[in-house]
Amino acid sequence: MLVLRPVELTDLPQLQQLARDSLVGVTSLPDDTERLRQRIIDSCASFEKDVEAQGPENYFFVLEDLTTQRLAGCSELLATAGFNEPFYSLRNRHFTSASRELNIEHGVPALSLCQDLNGHTLLRGFHIDTTLVRTAFSELLSRARLLFIAAHPQRFADAVITEIVGYSSDEGQSPFWDAVGKHFFDLPYTEAERLCGLETRTFLAELMPQYPIYVPMLPQAAQDCIGRIHPDGQEAFDILEREGFETNSYIDLFDGGPTLYARTSNVLSIAQSQTGTVQRRSSIDARGRYLVSNDALEGYRAIVVELDVVTGQPVGLSAEMCQALNVTDGSPIRLIAL
Amino acid sequence: MIVRPVRVTDLPALMDLVQQAGPGFTTLPANEDRLVHRVRWAQRTFAEQVERADADYLFVLEDDDQQVVGVSAMSGAVGLREPWYNYRVGLTVSASPDLGIARQIPTLFLNNEMTGQSELCSLFLRHDQRQGTNGRLLSLGRLLFVAEFPQLFGDKLIAELRGSADEHGCSPFWDSLGRHFFKKEFSYADHLSGLGNKSFIAELMPRQPLYTCLLTEQAQAVIGKAHPNTVPAMKLLNAEGFAHQGYIDIFDAGPVIEAPVAKIRSVRDSQALVLAIGTPDEQAPVWLIHNRRLENCRITVAKARLVGNSLVVDRLTAKRLQLQPGNSVRAVPLLKQQQQAVAA
Repeated sequence: MLVLRPVELTDLPQLQQLARDSLVGVTSLPDDTERLRQRIIDSCASFEKDVEAQGPENYFFVLEDLTTQRLAGCSELLATAGFNEPFYSLRNRHFTSASRELNIEHGVPALSLCQDLNGHTLLRGFHIDTTLVRTAFSELLSRARLLFIAAHPQRFADAVITEIVGYSSDEGQSPFWDAVGKHFFDLPYTEAERLCGLETRTFLAELMPQYPIYVPMLPQAAQDCIGRIHPDGQEAFDILEREGFETNSYIDLFDGGPTLYARTSNVLSIAQSQTGTVQRRSSIDARGRYLVSNDALEGYRAIVVELDVVTGQPVGLSAEMCQALNVTDGSPIRLIAL
Repeated sequence: MIVRPVRVTDLPALMDLVQQAGPGFTTLPANEDRLVHRVRWAQRTFAEQVERADADYLFVLEDDDQQVVGVSAMSGAVGLREPWYNYRVGLTVSASPDLGIARQIPTLFLNNEMTGQSELCSLFLRHDQRQGTNGRLLSLGRLLFVAEFPQLFGDKLIAELRGSADEHGCSPFWDSLGRHFFKKEFSYADHLSGLGNKSFIAELMPRQPLYTCLLTEQAQAVIGKAHPNTVPAMKLLNAEGFAHQGYIDIFDAGPVIEAPVAKIRSVRDSQALVLAIGTPDEQAPVWLIHNRRLENCRITVAKARLVGNSLVVDRLTAKRLQLQPGNSVRAVPLLKQQQQAVAA
């Protein structure tokens, strides 16, 4: 059985392997032992911290195969984007070009650096083993974060966002980066993404273009990248889109990938998940597949299982499920149908 | 040859000239109504009936047979009636000391900094007359006029030189920038500009600075580059002290060259002298001479000898200037001293 749980220090070696395997542009995973160790320590502290109002906490989850103890994926939840340093994105809005005398009025799209998304909760660092892509475990890895928000709303913002990895070629070339970022950063795309995985992003503020970039002035290949998703980012996008997330006018400043946005209270797994109590059962007459979490904090666990759920009645779980979730008879749980 | 203010009777000759100049000569289009209007306006300007903001000094070059063979003009001031836009090519540095990155990115800043300055414009000399000192007389005559009447002009003189364009009139700079905001070809924008709509088109452009690195390479390459056809005019003004200080035309990126009036050679070195008639020898330098009149302004070039504060010229020159011996003239050697030496 695969279970989602908070990361622990003992996960470090396996996590480093995941970092190596993850796609460039999933910028939050540095392939660097010391930095990863710090990430784990920060995450542990975040889960332990008594939080009344959202702050800089970062919740780092891993997907573990309980049989093999192997990690099959990871995902992160940053309570507040832009808390310690600004969260930059490019806003794609129309500049209106108008002249009454010439009877002309048309909009020219322009990209402007902004920090509009500061303060929102950020889903990031989604990475799953290739053998599990497009399975229920992808849903678990992504949506268990939303169930965690539902269980601990005071720790999160009223809106949740995520940046989907934008297009780059198999050779690591990003046409958007080549047309925009490269001029200002003087770095290859992959190197820029690597620097973004490091703790300090001061260089972003130092190097980002401060004046608008008019879209029609960019080469067509770069224009085509605006809002375009990397094939490997499609699943992360699809899962959240089904949750009610929508694209808006914000894109990633490196690769032009889209940003997804949702009001926290409107997210499907948050608005429609139900709470219940556990009833241990020896056998379950499975009627549907559910995401189930234990609503805990440091001991947070989530699984995806087949259940027989009847409204208003305790939820029957097998001994194996109870063990995976670390719950017993009468424990509170949260669940939503897949 | 003399330079003098335009008259209504010059209209047929002027029409011939602008037709010869072709569509690239946007400030003097071959449109009879507009030409009539401009000539009338120039006459009022020379009669001091208009404010500096509206002043349009239109001169013609006329040979001794009273044939008009060239035209040149100068405004009292730009930008006082409607905004006058240029880009200034400035610099943005994108630097991160920690990463050892320092990018210098030329950046275009939209501005109205030339407001109130006077513009040299609309110069055309008939092809068969492009010889001897005709070009200099037609162009530099204006500078001597400014030397005589500085109160009519701004602190600086400017000239917007035509930028690079291909044989079809397409400008790579326009294609990379202006076209996206105006959504029309350069030739059309240029045409509207000539009709006096330049500021309207300018107002379609973004006010924020523009990074040149986002322009096409072809566009970047022509920033501040004069069209080959205007290079001779540019060299002439450069020798007078005009320089490119980073301002360019917002449509085709042609250079704006400028000079403080007091530092222009023909202004600074010009002097008020008394006209005398004699026979200047063959070795005498060539002078640019103005009769110091406004409405009856006449400017010519002639060999002349400086004796004390007298300028000795031949009888024909005095006749061209419509002056008698003993009258005052303003004059300056047509070429710098060292150029005179080379010419000799």
